[in-house]
Order: sequence, then C-alpha cells, then structure tokens
Amino acid sequence: MKPWRQLAVIAVLSLAAALGTYWLKGPPNRLFRCDPASLKPDEVCLATIPAGAEVLWVDARSRAEWMKNGVPGSLLWNQDVTEDMQAFEAAVAVAIVTTPRVIVYCGDENCGLSRQIATRIRALDLGAQVSVLRGGWRALNEAGRTRTTPVK
Amino acid sequence: MKISCGIWLVLTAWLQSAALDFPATLREIHAPADVKTVTADFEFTNRSGKPVDITKYDPSCSCIAMQIENGKLHYAPGESGMVRTRFDMGNFSGTVDKVVALWLDKDPEDKPSVALTVRVHIPILVALEPKTLKWELNGKGEPQTLHITMHYDKPIRVTAVTASSDSFRHELKPVEEGKSYELIVTPVDIKTPCLGIFRIETDCQIEKHRIQQAFATIRRSSPGDAVVKP
Repeated sequence: MKPWRQLAVIAVLSLAAALGTYWLKGPPNRLFRCDPASLKPDEVCLATIPAGAEVLWVDARSRAEWMKNGVPGSLLWNQDVTEDMQAFEAAVAVAIVTTPRVIVYCGDENCGLSRQIATRIRALDLGAQVSVLRGGWRALNEAGRTRTTPVK
Repeated sequence: MKISCGIWLVLTAWLQSAALDFPATLREIHAPADVKTVTADFEFTNRSGKPVDITKYDPSCSCIAMQIENGKLHYAPGESGMVRTRFDMGNFSGTVDKVVALWLDKDPEDKPSVALTVRVHIPILVALEPKTLKWELNGKGEPQTLHITMHYDKPIRVTAVTASSDSFRHELKPVEEGKSYELIVTPVDIKTPCLGIFRIETDCQIEKHRIQQAFATIRRSSPGDAVVKP
C-alpha cells in the first residue's frame, strides 16, 4: 500500500476511535479537577473545605469581579494600584482575630496573584493559617459557592 | 508503513509544537523607592515552522498597559517581535510580581500559552520589625518593642503614632532621630482577645512610604502557629 493510503487509513481509524470514545463516554469533562497529588505545599483543594467551614475567604481578583460574583462573606485584597493596601491589611487583620483559617483565591488555576496575596497575609504575622485555593474562583463557581447576586 | 508513521508523527509534532519562543518569561527589575512606572520588554521569535497569531492578551490588572510591537499580531515562521509592558506601581513597596498572559491561535479561554512575569523590587524605606506584636490570652502582659528603622539616605522622622484601640498603651522612643525608633506597646487587659492597629506617620518625602501600619494582638494560639498542613 502506498504511504498516502496508509496515512489515510491511520487517519480514518483515529477518527473512528475518537468518535467511538465520544459516543461511549460523552463529551470531555471540562470541569476543574483538583488532583491532591499535584498540590503545592500551601495549596488546598475545594473538596477538602466543607461549605460551612469556618474560613476567611480572600478574593484576589478585581473589585468589580469580587462584587459581581465573589464568595459570600469574602474580603477583597488585590494588587490594583487604585486600591488602598493598608485598608486591605486592616480588614483582613481584624477578621483573622475571629477566623484564623484563611484561603485566598483568584480567577483560575493560571492566576498567580492569590499566592502573592497569601504571602502578604502571612507577612502580617497574625498567626493565621493561610492557603491558596487550587482552581480559584472557577472551582468555587463550579461548586456553586459563589455569589449569584452582585453586591450593590 | 514507516514513511506513513513518520509523516503522522511529524504532523502531530507540527500541530502541537510550542509557537512563540520567549528567551525570558521573567524580568526582574530593581526600581528606586520613588518609582511610579516600570517598563519591561519581552522579545520573542516564531520558531514553530507555521504562522502564529496572537489572538488575545490580558494584563490582569488595570495598572498594566500592554503593547505588541507595531500592533502586529500575525507572525510568519522565523519572524520576531516584542511585547512591551508598562506598570503603574502605585503605592507598592517590597517585591511585587505582575503577570500578563498571551493567547495564541486556538488557545482555550482558560489556558493561555504564554505567561510573562515582571518582578519588581522596590526598597522599603520605613521598616517595621516585627509587623505584629503578640500576647497570649491570659498570659503575661509585659511591654513589647516594635523597631522602626529608616533605610534612606535622608533622615525620616516619625511624626505621629495613633492606635485604633484603647486596649494598648504605647510610647515612642527615638533611638537615633531620623534613623531609628522604638515603639513600646503594653496591653491594658490581657484577658480579652483583641486587635490594635497602629498608624505610624512619618515625614518621608516619598508619599507612598509616608504612612505605615503595625498590629498588636491578644489571642489564643491559632492554627497558623502549628505546622501548616493543607
């Protein structure tokens, strides 16, 4: 058989296998999946944080995003230059007194901002246990744990 | 058969190959204390053997202006270009990372191909050590000292210290005027958990370093005192 025919056969077989898989197993699952084995030391999976857990959520996204669909009860701390960093510090410090378990989230797993904010919260040295949420807001949203009505 | 498999593998590799090659995706900048903006350039070359389009770029913060050289978004094989990023540093000091993302060709919305980081180091002119003074609930309410040290070639004087809470007494002592100070803080009542916020005002010429914040807390031992296990 000529090479181009062989190539065509391989292509047809691959396509058939792909379609068969789609038919049997359905479309690919695009929901965020947190693999505990791949967590960095300061990261947590949302599945390990029950919905009612006493946690201080800190949103590292923009103020507009936080107001639109942040976690209910969360505090804002981002690195936007228009914001008052000392006000963020003070608000988080006051909340840590009663809720020393802090989890920071930003947009999704590609966003590195939550780790920077977590570092700043640890630098306050208030004795809080500070973690970063793997998957960020995307994981929270898919779990139905974000605000559905924007804050006015 | 070998030829077919070879062609197949080459095609697969061609389709999956990294598109734009950035010699550096991290730029570190040591900026002066009064820095207002920082600019960093990232050069790149299309080494993929096929044309590449930059379909989207996201500065992730309103403080970042991003520009692609000559506004060109389509790069033929072998062509080079440059991404210029400009950051408004606002009131930041210490180390700050700013990240910008680039989406190429058919990158999924949540998976940009390229992340470029600018790490800016800005000197801290008014250093507080420690940032937080801590007392154990029902422990000994002895005075503790917060050291304020100026790291600048001109004197910086502390002009005022105000506390948010009456639960602490404080006294400012100059060690070397314009260079070093001690803030002695004493809890009034050690039996009630509380937090005090101290606002330390200085006459620093650079506005963003002028006011600092420190904390004092009376608390039970908390989870952060133990080894952190996610």
